[in-house]
Amino acid sequence: MLELNNINAFYGKVQSLWDLSLKVEEAEIVALVGANGAGKTTLLNTICGLMSPASGSVSFLGRRIDGLTPHSIVEMGLSHIPESGRVFPDMTVRENLEMGAYPYHAWKMKEETLKQVFQIFPRLEEREGQLARTLSGGEKQMLAMGRGLMSRPRLCMFDEPSYGLAPKLVLEVFRIVNSLREHGITVLLVEQNVRHTLEIADRAYVLENGRMVLEGSGAELLQSDYVKKAYLGL
Amino acid sequence: MVIEIIDIFLSGLLMGGIYALIAVGLSMQYGVARVLNVSHGEFIMLGAFFTWSLYTYCNINPLLTLVICGPVMLLIGFVLHKTLYRSIRISSGGGAAFEGNSMLASFGLLFVIQNMAILIWGASIKGYSYLAFPVNMGGVIFPANRLVTLLFAVIISVAFYLFLARTRLGKAIRAAAQDPDAAGLMGVNINQVLALCFGLGAMMAGLAGTLLSMSFRVQPTMGLEYTLIAIIVVVLGGLGSIPGSFIGGFILGLIGSIVSAIEPSLSLVAYYMLFMILLLVKPTGILGR
Repeated sequence: MLELNNINAFYGKVQSLWDLSLKVEEAEIVALVGANGAGKTTLLNTICGLMSPASGSVSFLGRRIDGLTPHSIVEMGLSHIPESGRVFPDMTVRENLEMGAYPYHAWKMKEETLKQVFQIFPRLEEREGQLARTLSGGEKQMLAMGRGLMSRPRLCMFDEPSYGLAPKLVLEVFRIVNSLREHGITVLLVEQNVRHTLEIADRAYVLENGRMVLEGSGAELLQSDYVKKAYLGL
Repeated sequence: MVIEIIDIFLSGLLMGGIYALIAVGLSMQYGVARVLNVSHGEFIMLGAFFTWSLYTYCNINPLLTLVICGPVMLLIGFVLHKTLYRSIRISSGGGAAFEGNSMLASFGLLFVIQNMAILIWGASIKGYSYLAFPVNMGGVIFPANRLVTLLFAVIISVAFYLFLARTRLGKAIRAAAQDPDAAGLMGVNINQVLALCFGLGAMMAGLAGTLLSMSFRVQPTMGLEYTLIAIIVVVLGGLGSIPGSFIGGFILGLIGSIVSAIEPSLSLVAYYMLFMILLLVKPTGILGR
């Protein structure tokens, strides 16, 4: 469904991604783990069109998308929920969600999608008319996730959705990401919370200093000595 | 005494309507497209000359000109952003460098437009008489065109506000103002929206020019004063806040008419005093954050 081949990318003059390749198949949950500064966010930004790779290719549903602008990539059904949510602070919860349904095909069905999103996030329905700036950190993250689903995506990319949340909410976030399988949504998940991530991931990649160092099923990586030592502190 | 107070209040509102309109326009250009358009007043001047020419040579009703002038200015602004400001945005890499460079470019634009207007229309003061008959409002007498100006300024501003609050495109504009990258991730074509915002700003200026020309003198150098007023109102209302600019326009209009009643030559001085005090005491404006 999503395929990256030999991606090299620069952040300013510094090379941040080195010859990266990655594959996400339909209906999978694929995780990308790694320390701060490993290049995870750069990689997602390269996929969603906020950045362009210096070389290599990105294809989605069989079409090349590297070099396209973010808005045309969303229209193809690839939704990116950026780091720290980035909700629109001076719009209400409902308006934020409506913005998520901006592509024409999603706009036509927005009332229906809104109902489904409210089912997943009942809290958002309670806060419907409130300005997003008045929400708590957890609610903002839920809003960002709900907004990302409003475009009726085939594939959702999450950039550290559990970052900065209370432990109870962290579990809630992982439960929701895991439940997207039932809605037929493929997931590419970037996280620092390695244990929870590998528990729900079908497959995972480990990224270090802009290079892929390890790849395998979630369960395999949980058992690997390397991951245990470097990320789980065992 | 009572009549004098009504007089001051009404003339403040009448001027305030125009101030609100031009400030809402500048607010679109600076608040969303991040271009501090110093040539904003030149678009007002163009709108005014456009209306004057159509009225003087083709006898076209100035209120009808609103319908022609709006789209023409929108198109000029849109194309200007797509060509000039877009290339500045790419070459400066966005951010603070873009704000500085685009402001300098708009200074250049100010002189280009102004001199073109002098070439076309000459430097002399022009004017025409339309709906100039007096209307008595509770003992205070105003020319009818001033009242029509206020009415249309309010209608245009409210319609614009509803457009931003209710429509899909209006919401995309607000989203782009708050976080352009996130708006892009929602599927908003950012380059189109920024150009549209600049165009809408030019449209507001053009419409204000049309309305102004009915009761004020028209000349190629009239623009700068309005630009300065628009900047003051935008800061007064709070940067990037459309309702703030709207309310700020009326506040400034009222301050202007109160000061003029005491000493007519001091109104501009009062505006600048207010501007300085505001920057010192409440730089975020009344509705800004």
